[in-house]
Amino acid sequence: MISVAEMYIIQSIHGVVYGMLLFLVSSGLTIIFGMMGILNLAHASFFMLAAYFAYTITVVTGNFWLALIIAPIVTAFFGILCERFLLRNVHAMGHMAELLLTLGMALVILEAVKAFWGTESLDIAVPQSLSGLVNIGGIQYSKYRLFIIIMAVVILTLMALILFKTRLGMIVRASVTNSAMVSALGINTPIVFMLVFGLGTWLAGVAGVCASPLLTVFPGIADQVGMDCFVVVVTGGLGSLVGAFISAFTIGELNAYGVQFVPRLVPVLTFSFMVLVLAIKPAGLFGEREK
Amino acid sequence: MSKTLRPLKYWVMGLVVAVIVPHVVGTVYTNIIVTFMLDAVFALTVNLLMGYTGLVTFGHAMFLGLGGYAAALALKHMPGFPLIGVIFVSGLAAFLLSCAVAPLLARVTGTAFAMLTFGFGQLMYVICLKFREITGGEDGIAGYSTPPIHLGFTNVNITDPINFYYFSLIVLGAVTFLMWWLVNTPFGTVIVGIRDNALRVHYLGYRVKHSKALVLIISGTLAGFVGGIYALFHHLVSTDGVLTIFVSFYPLMACYIGGIGSFFGPILGAGILQGINVLISRYTQRIDLVNGIIFILVVMYLPMGSIGIWLSIKGWVLKNKRKA
Repeated sequence: MISVAEMYIIQSIHGVVYGMLLFLVSSGLTIIFGMMGILNLAHASFFMLAAYFAYTITVVTGNFWLALIIAPIVTAFFGILCERFLLRNVHAMGHMAELLLTLGMALVILEAVKAFWGTESLDIAVPQSLSGLVNIGGIQYSKYRLFIIIMAVVILTLMALILFKTRLGMIVRASVTNSAMVSALGINTPIVFMLVFGLGTWLAGVAGVCASPLLTVFPGIADQVGMDCFVVVVTGGLGSLVGAFISAFTIGELNAYGVQFVPRLVPVLTFSFMVLVLAIKPAGLFGEREK
Repeated sequence: MSKTLRPLKYWVMGLVVAVIVPHVVGTVYTNIIVTFMLDAVFALTVNLLMGYTGLVTFGHAMFLGLGGYAAALALKHMPGFPLIGVIFVSGLAAFLLSCAVAPLLARVTGTAFAMLTFGFGQLMYVICLKFREITGGEDGIAGYSTPPIHLGFTNVNITDPINFYYFSLIVLGAVTFLMWWLVNTPFGTVIVGIRDNALRVHYLGYRVKHSKALVLIISGTLAGFVGGIYALFHHLVSTDGVLTIFVSFYPLMACYIGGIGSFFGPILGAGILQGINVLISRYTQRIDLVNGIIFILVVMYLPMGSIGIWLSIKGWVLKNKRKA
């Protein structure tokens, strides 16, 4: 029997885990938004794709760790292909064409996944070394969820270091602010775009593999996570990493407590939060411009 | 676009063909035509936003879906509810929903509008999935019976395919005519002005946001009526049928293929799509996959739709003539 206080602590950690996953996905989404000026509606589809790749790799090789390394890379490869051969070709036609294209991509990926893997839920087992509980300060907590927190923190720290301490990061940040100017300074922005798109899908892929044992793998996974990410990015302010970080954790906690108290109203809860923020600040928490 | 219904003989011819057609082509094709009409009129409601007001919506399925659910719920839980009432209820539900979302959506344009409607559409989808005891979740609501229409002296049995064809022809024709009338009013000119230059319309003293909200409400309500007919036609309303992103995306595709910016383009596009779907459904079950790929190809290579093909063929022929 767990006490009320323990329940609150456990739900809070659940919220942190989900917030981490959401931030992994939406950080890629928000950087891509900054560079291209559109929300990539297919972003959650890459998340889903990675989860399915992870399933196949674990079934074939029986090794979850291999899946964790390979699946995101394959996903990023697909993402780069989509950027290079689809999105780049319509870039000149304006934002609406790009947005429509990402919608088309999302649909094709969803249908392709249904065609290859079927529509039923697939289970991925947590690896032996991470299954079971760990005792922290008298509270039993799932090892696997703690592992997700640690891994997300490592990846995000690395990303922040690259983004804020290296020359490449400087170019990316500058492209987010004004890509035309960066391109005029002689930097090959299409390649930067492609790399960033690949990085974004890789992050979505990592999150997808991490989430797959928790959520089970099914075609609706993209809808579920995609909607939360959408809320995170819009609420945080389009193109703002700090905003995405804060709102990812808010949504994560809202989700965790929502599941505890009003399980079926969770999507309404997160959406109401978004509408509330947008009603007060139309550009989102940290959004500066309206696209 | 002509301001009057001047080519009257074409309208009369069209009407005669529409009346005769179900007696000629048989039940299967009559049902295909009804499906086509549903798609076409739904595409028209989307085009009212996209083609005329310049607001691309990715979530129009929520209005269609809510209309469908309202009709199905009314039929299921209120036996003896008159058919006209059912259609009215589906429109009313969509009207209320569009009134609820309009204040937020009217403030944004362009990609932000598209993304927000996408979000609302997905929200509606998830809610209907979760509230299983009302909406039936993935299985949806089925097994309701369709009441006959009381015409005073006789009852028309609407489950007969031909009668249903006429019924939907009348309702959807009325919806179409309403939109045709609307875009030719001064208000129709204002919304086209908003599409082309919202700032100038604002300077001229029109209330841009209010106008946008109004178009959204009209378009949403009319989509709700289409949803009501859908519920009566399919005898099944499920999240997969009326609320998935595919449902929102299909009319966009029809508008794109038919060509944006004309009133009848979406009808042409819906017809072409219906033809393609009837053809490919003979070979594969993955219709949505094929549709998605076609859509990507259209966005990439045919940004002007089938009118673009026509123009390029015309250009090619002219060029060859000049050479010869």
